Amino acid sequence: MKKDSLVKQIADYVIIHKESYYRLAYSYVKNVDDALDVVQDSIYKALSSVDSLKDPSHIKTWFYRIVINTSLDLLRKQKKVVSVDEETLISCHIKVVDKYADIDLHNALESLPENCRSIIILRYFEDMKLEEIAEVLNENISTVKSRLYKSLEVLQIKMEA
Amino acid sequence: MNGNNFEQLKKEYMDIPIPEELDFVVKKALQDSNIYSKKKRKQYYKSGITAASMAAALMAFTLLINTSPVFAETLSAVPIVKNLVKVLTFREYTVKEDTYNAEIKAPSIDGLNNKTLENTLNDKYIEENKKLYEEFLADMESLKENNGGQLGIKSGYVVKTDTDTILSIGRYVVNTVGSSSTIFKYDTIDKKNEVLITLPSLFKDESYVDIISENIKKQMVEQHKANNKKFYWVSGIDQKTSIKPFEKILKGQNFYINAENKLVISFDKYEVAPGYMGIVEFTIPTEIISNILVSTEYIK
Repeated sequence: MKKDSLVKQIADYVIIHKESYYRLAYSYVKNVDDALDVVQDSIYKALSSVDSLKDPSHIKTWFYRIVINTSLDLLRKQKKVVSVDEETLISCHIKVVDKYADIDLHNALESLPENCRSIIILRYFEDMKLEEIAEVLNENISTVKSRLYKSLEVLQIKMEA
Repeated sequence: MNGNNFEQLKKEYMDIPIPEELDFVVKKALQDSNIYSKKKRKQYYKSGITAASMAAALMAFTLLINTSPVFAETLSAVPIVKNLVKVLTFREYTVKEDTYNAEIKAPSIDGLNNKTLENTLNDKYIEENKKLYEEFLADMESLKENNGGQLGIKSGYVVKTDTDTILSIGRYVVNTVGSSSTIFKYDTIDKKNEVLITLPSLFKDESYVDIISENIKKQMVEQHKANNKKFYWVSGIDQKTSIKPFEKILKGQNFYINAENKLVISFDKYEVAPGYMGIVEFTIPTEIISNILVSTEYIK
């Protein structure tokens, strides 16, 4: 019974926020069909793993996480993503920072590693709190914070270059 | 960082066009999930009860039939006994760890006199599910070594048709690693003659492959015309991708026979249509195959 109402809550939530989820998926996979696939698969995943949602008040972050993971999995499957080692990911240092003089913010954002880009998107486009982002990405807040600042720094360097 | 820049960027992000299919896709996914999770869960639950009570009842029956000829006679008048061939949940594997979830259920057929058939099917189901479970464990271990991740698998079965003559069981596997994939496999049994029905065995010759394929292609195009969100990879519908269009069904294509005695051909996700279409099924009108059917016992 409790589970049924939870499923319903999730369904309602997804219907209301479907456009945000679609945009988020699209920002990763960059293609209409794939983004639709991600949204659909995320719903399947979500509803088949309702048990992993411990607290109904976390539906929002929980579902964002599923969308991001599904997007990344899809990219991985398509092998469009070049794997980056842990150290590079954590430090968020971009290899050739000042090679392109006229790079705009959009390109700069695209060139960030995924987990840094996710933080920027969630923070500035989806207006999430740092705590929520930490939950979505399954990281602790200080990691998120330091990545955010580093990402901003990198973006700034790129914009000014 | 300049605030205006971010505003501009946010605007770009918010301007990502929302395709009109989104609504359809979301609703379909929610609907499908309801079928896959909620309803079925109830079915399992029921079959669990049935399993226990059936076992007890069967024992009593056997005793009574053997000891009392009168009882055996009265029994044949009771409809339930004709339907004694049942599907029960035989074995379950479950894994529940933070981000790893496996729910594997193997069906088991019971009540056939043809024990060779019963055992062959049941062994196949157990084998299939054991393999799934072992693969899942292996995947889970390798994921754990690589910093973890989410992994889910769910398998189970649906009784598609259960009439006096026909029992169609569909087994499904939903893999929720990466983009989720669903695979369905069907077995259809003739309960009276206790044989497994295969697709070729229904027809006099192999012309069914072309006849059915043509009909399915026609249905695909018609469905698309009626609702352009229904999309198939088939000639006759404008293709945006270079995916090879659907040509013909396999000789042993997935199928089952529904309660209306109609042949239903089933395709797995991605087999003939984009992922958002999910599993697609086509009911084949009996008129077009009546000439080549071996008998009208199953399909009418």
